[in-house]
Amino acid sequence: MKAAIAALVLCAAVLLVVPTASFVYEAGGPEACARCHEMGSPVGKWQASTHRNVPCSACHGDALTTNPNFHLSNARRVYDHLRSDLSEKPGLRPADVFAIVPRCQKCHQQEFAAWSTSPHAATYKNIFLDQKHNSTRHLMDDCLRCHGTHFDGGIRDLVSPLNNTGPWTLRRAELADQPVIPCLSCHSMHRAGHRLEQRRLEAKTLGSRQEIFRPSLAFFDRREMAPVPVSLLPLPAIREGERNVRISPDQRQALCYQCHAPLSTAQVFSGDDRTPIGVHEGISCLACHDKHRQTTRASCANCHPRLSNCGIDVEKMDTTFAKPGSKHNIHTVKCLDCHPKGIPPRTKQTAGLPPRQN
Amino acid sequence: MMPLDSISGGCDLKRRIFLTTAAVATAACNRKSSSLRFFTADEAAILDAWLDVLIPGDQDPGARQAGVVHYIDLQLTRKFRKLQPAYRSAIAALGRLAVQRGAPSYESLSFEARTAIATQMEQGALDKSLFPDGGKTAFNMVLDHAMQGFYGSPRHGGNQDYSSWRMIGIPPMPVRGRQHYDIRDTYPQKAPVQG
Repeated sequence: MKAAIAALVLCAAVLLVVPTASFVYEAGGPEACARCHEMGSPVGKWQASTHRNVPCSACHGDALTTNPNFHLSNARRVYDHLRSDLSEKPGLRPADVFAIVPRCQKCHQQEFAAWSTSPHAATYKNIFLDQKHNSTRHLMDDCLRCHGTHFDGGIRDLVSPLNNTGPWTLRRAELADQPVIPCLSCHSMHRAGHRLEQRRLEAKTLGSRQEIFRPSLAFFDRREMAPVPVSLLPLPAIREGERNVRISPDQRQALCYQCHAPLSTAQVFSGDDRTPIGVHEGISCLACHDKHRQTTRASCANCHPRLSNCGIDVEKMDTTFAKPGSKHNIHTVKCLDCHPKGIPPRTKQTAGLPPRQN
Repeated sequence: MMPLDSISGGCDLKRRIFLTTAAVATAACNRKSSSLRFFTADEAAILDAWLDVLIPGDQDPGARQAGVVHYIDLQLTRKFRKLQPAYRSAIAALGRLAVQRGAPSYESLSFEARTAIATQMEQGALDKSLFPDGGKTAFNMVLDHAMQGFYGSPRHGGNQDYSSWRMIGIPPMPVRGRQHYDIRDTYPQKAPVQG
């Protein structure tokens, strides 16, 4: 009986010692996390970030969680610390990245709802087990640059078999329903910036005084395993033949161009490029595409009200770029597509505008 | 009792390690916070001042702004572990040299004075009681690491905010698209490609 009680106490001690240590650690606040040398840098960045009022535990989990992996991960980190076998930077594992998504949702409900109904919320199953894609194109490591940026392995570690006949399965079945583009693919939580104002105040801010882009915008570079802030991402010089295509200076587009990128020839529509030419040349991606939902249809009315000169409801036109036969592909439509008898001459008001791409 | 390995989903953490690390985790809570892994704050200040002479900032950031000291500090706990004594003794020698020249510390010397010391080190002309070879080996070691930390990837601890890449004009992330193709067009005569 005594042995059983001793064993029970020992079991309880083993099970509780790490959560207790985590609890003591957390009780010291964010500064406690920084007591480990390797955590000093991320905590320092967080203290100047937009999320500085959000405690570490809100995103990274806390000692009261019943998930054993959380506590074992902490124990492993301490063990590595004691062995001086530290990674260059403390980073999140894929499981941590996915665990953060619902924690983002807690505060950013609207953004989460928009993202979760968008193409960017596609899952590993949707992308890597796609029959049409896999039978006509090779799966390759470069796919992971945009789809599965946080995946800690190559394409061979993810999909099997790597051929064009299939049937394909995910080697890591637990990833099947996880998003390939989670929040942290485009946002960096520790990026320096002002705290987010209350939404009701933000709506009252005049357009010219609103911030152009959130400081958290960053593309996760899987080679470096670090987010690159959008301010450091390049906007490419796109060409149509020999002609330079005008593109919007909106820096947020640099994030889009990381994946919707032209080939090295920089020719418009090469590779995955979607730069608009024609009447929409020079317009930012985000002028039409809702930033989390990516929907576009509702944005047409911003510039083309129903009571326009021609009386055409542009929201009912076939404007998709996905169908080759689309007469009014929104990315290429030109004046002549709607004015086959000739383009009306410039008025005095529009005389100073850049030349039209007819 | 359920083995820990099964709880952790196949992790290789042993029970003894688990207990030891958990106990130490609690004890470690009282440590003073620092982002340095190897150097003390004083040592880091001396090395930072030394690096500032090797790659000074101008209109573009130098070694100090690029955080090269953090690169060296980080790598001394990893790839450069064997060089720990060399760094420690070189930094201590510079501290002593500054005192010999009447300054409270090396980092309080003027930029010109630090440059003169670095020049002497490069030529191996410093006092042999401080550096057996006049400082040449230490100079070359730090110069090599300064360049690595300044121009290397930020993931290794230096080149903060891609400062040197921006100076050269290299975007941190180039825009690079991918050619689209259809295997059926590429290999029309062949059977489906096997991986």
